[in-house]
Amino acid sequence: MSKLTTTGLTKAFSGLVAVNNVSFHMDEGEILGIIGPNGAGKTTFIHLVSGILLPTSGSITFKGNDITYAPAHVRSRMGIARTYQLIHPLENLKVIENVMVGAVFSKDKSLKEARKSAEAICAELELGRLERDTAQLSILEIKKMEIARALANEPEVLFLDEVMAGLNSDETKQLIATVQRIARERKLAVGVVEHVMGVIRELTHRVIVLEAGELIAEGTYETVSKNPRVIEAYLGGAA
Amino acid sequence: MAKKRNATILVAVITVAAVVILFWRPTVLIYGLQAAGLYASIAIPMGLILGIVHIVNLAHGEFMMLAAYATFMVCQAFGLDPFVAMVPVALVTAAFGFMIYKLTIRQALKSPELNQLILTFGISIAITQLINLSFTSQTRKMSFDYVSASVDIGELSFGIYNFVFVVIAILMVIGLRLYLTKTISGKAALAVGQNPKGASIVGIDVDKTYGFVFALASGMIGMMGALFITRSSIFPGVGGPFTMKSFCLIAMAGVGNIPGILGASVLLGISENFLKAFRGTRGWADIVFFVLIITVILGRSIKGKKA
Amino acid sequence: MKFKTSYLVAAVVAAIMIAFPTFLGAYPLNVARSVMTYMALAITWDMLLRSGQISFGIAGLFGLGSYASILAVLRGGMDPLLSIVFATVFSGAMAYALGFAILRLRAMYFSITTLALMEIFRIVIHNMHDFSGGPEGVVLPTVIFGGNASALYWLCLGGLFITIGASWFFEKSKMHLALTAIRNDETSARSNGVNIFKYLLITFVVTSAMQGMMGAIQVQSYGFTAPDTAFDANFTLLPLAIALLGGIHSTVGPMAGAVLLGVAAEWLKLKIPYGHLIVYGIIIILVILFMPQGIVGMIRRAGRAAGRAGKQTGANHE
Repeated sequence: MSKLTTTGLTKAFSGLVAVNNVSFHMDEGEILGIIGPNGAGKTTFIHLVSGILLPTSGSITFKGNDITYAPAHVRSRMGIARTYQLIHPLENLKVIENVMVGAVFSKDKSLKEARKSAEAICAELELGRLERDTAQLSILEIKKMEIARALANEPEVLFLDEVMAGLNSDETKQLIATVQRIARERKLAVGVVEHVMGVIRELTHRVIVLEAGELIAEGTYETVSKNPRVIEAYLGGAA
Repeated sequence: MAKKRNATILVAVITVAAVVILFWRPTVLIYGLQAAGLYASIAIPMGLILGIVHIVNLAHGEFMMLAAYATFMVCQAFGLDPFVAMVPVALVTAAFGFMIYKLTIRQALKSPELNQLILTFGISIAITQLINLSFTSQTRKMSFDYVSASVDIGELSFGIYNFVFVVIAILMVIGLRLYLTKTISGKAALAVGQNPKGASIVGIDVDKTYGFVFALASGMIGMMGALFITRSSIFPGVGGPFTMKSFCLIAMAGVGNIPGILGASVLLGISENFLKAFRGTRGWADIVFFVLIITVILGRSIKGKKA
Repeated sequence: MKFKTSYLVAAVVAAIMIAFPTFLGAYPLNVARSVMTYMALAITWDMLLRSGQISFGIAGLFGLGSYASILAVLRGGMDPLLSIVFATVFSGAMAYALGFAILRLRAMYFSITTLALMEIFRIVIHNMHDFSGGPEGVVLPTVIFGGNASALYWLCLGGLFITIGASWFFEKSKMHLALTAIRNDETSARSNGVNIFKYLLITFVVTSAMQGMMGAIQVQSYGFTAPDTAFDANFTLLPLAIALLGGIHSTVGPMAGAVLLGVAAEWLKLKIPYGHLIVYGIIIILVILFMPQGIVGMIRRAGRAAGRAGKQTGANHE
């Protein structure tokens, strides 16, 4: 059974339709790539699914429950976690506290338990020296911290919005392996937005392609990348 | 959006006004309009700063109070009329505003909005207390013959002097419109208000524009301070309520919508005078404005949620 | 180890404060009460500020609490001590009702609305002549505890301890994570399970209740109030200056600020009867411009820098 499905999901901003009639599903243990040219509506789509924005029409179900209009914090408690394209560190909290937030509020853990599980997750992601301020972290470390915070929510569905952006090739390789491992070990459904096609090819089992808010193709990376409509969307976007 | 809002305010105002005239005393309308003129002409400079520099100047009313005291001193010392004194006072207040901008507000432009709010709050306290320190909290008053000029129409007799403020408010709106659309410096200010980054990319000196707008608005409020003394006695706390009222009017009109301030002022002025006209509700007239401000702000936020 | 010393220091300070009446006269105790009142208000203002919401309405809740208490005694024949509890609950309940509307507002809209609410409270009290005594205010037949200076001091200290306790709890519990997350990044807080409205409402209700409590304690200690006394802008202004000077987002900051400014205020009041408040205005301006971290923040930063320098020299020696 699909973990997460959307049916005819649409979001319009005073006339501009950012996401148009998108129906999709995500299954347990699957890493799904969400690609498309700039402005295709990928981030808006994740905002809709995670509850940061509410849709104009259409519906979203999570494990069979309708969550179309559920607030974001309720969704994260149910098991949908995400990171952001623009990093969102909580700069007045220490690294460990940043990660604990997810555990404390989504899983109602005591501070002590939350600290323990946050430490375990950080160890798993090889993120050390957790008493630091977030200002002292490198880009890679911030990205890891944001993934750790999302994982502390103990989600079943995780969205990673351009986590690889700004990393060099070694760091990217390292993070790809990490994401694959955590997805496998936790049987997570992971949605990945990336611009670098190499990452999508390495990481994902299946890909959906958005263009101008519409879902134009779906399938494995190999089939999708040969789809003439997809090629045109990308070339058109470049021209 | 702004046009639609103006229209809504206008319809509300016309309905209220019509009901009042038809079924009740016309003085409510007359005094309401006069009050509206004063409110609008004080709020417009604040709206200019908020629209272009994006700073809520909580010391706005205190600038006016300071100018009123300056006028008081000048008039006492040289026997000038406030309508003459307003020229030098406006210039001095403009210089004062420019200095406040350079010394404090400019440093806080990049800080969080909360810091800016607290900063101007601190400035307002400092100015009030400076006057308290040098003049004590005693009220000062100056009387002028022309203020009591009145007109009789049939059985109706009312003061006409306060219509001066209506004229000033309208002149301010027209003047600002001409300045912002016809002059190079005004166009630059408008561009900076809409997008400071973009404006600086095309070569507009944002800092200079902010400084000028601040000085211009301070000069305008300085002029109002000079005229305020013809109408009301002054004391250190006299400006405070006008800061709030101005902010309320701007919030009603929508930031950046200067003509809308006129409509909002009429609504406020007439509703206040409506309550003042009954003995039983006279004491409650002050509450109108606070209820209005909360209604408007909450209405905004709910509308914002839905959109 | 670090924890134990700080507990020890706190216990010693608390003991000294409780013992003050044994070696201080009536006038210093009176000053101490005013300092403690401002300290409590500064702490409550800061507690809400930790979520990024800046209230200009402290005087509103303070005045509401003082009127709730004095009217409960005068019109309802309530026991004075009980009336303080009543005023606390009343202010909290009022904040709960208002919170549903105003906690959806942010930044300047929130601040201005709190200021406007305070004015509304004042005007309502001002105009309800028969019930509230109108502009002349109301007088109690007797002051609580017969006006015994030590007892009044301990009552005020009790209020302060409750406030400090609450603030300390907010710092050490998950409230700290919730409020800081809301202040730093509401979007991120939402997608990590933080129910923003719930935590803002809790904080608003708790801080308002304590502001009302301090108002009630004050009114019972002085035995009279009037709209212009109860809703005096100073009850908004001084706590703000105190917290800013001491250092925001902490319990210790407002405490340090209150001792400094409170004592200074008493001295200034004697030296400059009119306009001594100008000092507060100037402090607010200077702190915002030059040391937004406040005194405690500066000491902390200096401590950290010294610690780092120490480590470095240590490393060099190796």
